Amino acid sequence: MPLSVLICDDSLVARKQVAKCLPQDWDVDIHFAKHGKEAIEQIQAGKGQILLLDLNMPVMDGYQTLDAIQSGQFTTKTIVISGDIQPEAHHRVTALGAVDFIEKPVNPGKLQDVLRQHHLLEMQEPTKENPALPLALQDIYQEMTNVAMGQAGDHLARIMNVFVKLPIPNVNLIEVSEIHMMLKDIESHERVSAVCQGFIGGGVTGEAVCMLSDSSFGDIAKILNIQSSVDDQLQLEVLMDAASVLIGTCLSGIGQQLDISFRQRLPMILGQHRNVSELIDSNLRKWRKTLAIELSYGIEGYDVQCDLVLLFTEESMNTMNMKLAHLLEDDL
Amino acid sequence: MSQNSEMLQMHWLMDMVQSVDVGIVVLDRECKIHVWNDFMESHSGLLANTVKNQTLFAVNNDIDKEWFIQKTKPVFDLKVRTFITWEQRPYLFKFPNYRPITGTEDFMYQNVVISALTSATGAVDYISVMIYDTTDKAIAKKQLEALQVHMTENALPVR
Repeated sequence: MPLSVLICDDSLVARKQVAKCLPQDWDVDIHFAKHGKEAIEQIQAGKGQILLLDLNMPVMDGYQTLDAIQSGQFTTKTIVISGDIQPEAHHRVTALGAVDFIEKPVNPGKLQDVLRQHHLLEMQEPTKENPALPLALQDIYQEMTNVAMGQAGDHLARIMNVFVKLPIPNVNLIEVSEIHMMLKDIESHERVSAVCQGFIGGGVTGEAVCMLSDSSFGDIAKILNIQSSVDDQLQLEVLMDAASVLIGTCLSGIGQQLDISFRQRLPMILGQHRNVSELIDSNLRKWRKTLAIELSYGIEGYDVQCDLVLLFTEESMNTMNMKLAHLLEDDL
Repeated sequence: MSQNSEMLQMHWLMDMVQSVDVGIVVLDRECKIHVWNDFMESHSGLLANTVKNQTLFAVNNDIDKEWFIQKTKPVFDLKVRTFITWEQRPYLFKFPNYRPITGTEDFMYQNVVISALTSATGAVDYISVMIYDTTDKAIAKKQLEALQVHMTENALPVR
């Protein structure tokens, strides 16, 4: 797990600006907090080996935050980034344990210098055990997906008259920040389009994300028998069709095994929806971990790269574990 | 007695399908219309009796047959739902705006959900096409985008 950097500022613009100033090649998880109280909560959750802290904020200001870090004996290294450039402010934060002080607006060069100066760039990530799924459960989910995939693949093959290379599902418990990164990546990546679709049924809720690389569009259009040339409008059409079929078949396969019939919400196009990251940000505190099933489809003889990610909420797992318990019988 | 109450229940269930503010159309494999609810009647001006047993394409010649068949095929064959969002295509049926006076758009933006109707034997002979009015959402998004463009054009340069 990479090092985690927490950026705490009440202004969204400032948070983004600071994030942009971090060294490009620095492998870190970036987290955000809107005020000191949120920052402390995140630090408690292990999400802030390095804290970039503003001073003037509502709820809990920078000084109080530094105080809380000191009295809580957290090992967090704090760099204060503030518009308050009075010498007194500088003294006070250093007295409260901050390693350095940078004036706003921050620029990449300055931030990098400070990080280097305090040897924060080569700081080691903490050796923390990854919250893994119990092996037996991972096996069950993998098997459940395999069965669903087999059915879905069969359906696809029949409707499209192609041979579908069945993916090996990748089942994992992942952190919110990882999804965040994944979605950010889709947003910034011009060569990938994606739709996401919520689903719910029998106490299980989640979201499916279907990603299609742009190079696949031509071939998919061929498979789906679309004659006209592939423009933006048609790409969207193809993406929606592929998503309907992939998500639909996969969910019904999983639903069958769980004895649940899922309702699907209308798919939402991620590329055109600018606020995905912010949306996730505001949900950060509601959930931390999620069960992710990743599937990577290929179609023989065609250049098609299509990824499907099914994300289940943590609560859904209780229901699913119960429903799947019969598969384990004496093992668990 | 219990049969009677079941009949009554059927009756008000049907009433609900008729009066719900969502367009409901039931089609068979040839895309012949079997159900055309009140919403569809009101907005299209065509009565259910008029359109029954006609194909969708005869009733609405705006719809590209090939394209629509493409959307319904997975529903019949795989029993999955397919979706057409207003972002993808503004509408399936060109209906006038629900708010003809204060609305800014000329027509109704629509989300469409096509899902399978499974018979007692598990076969899919009919599908339902549901039409949701999303004009308000479309307008809101257009306004937001216009605002974003305005803000970007007038934004201060970022260092």
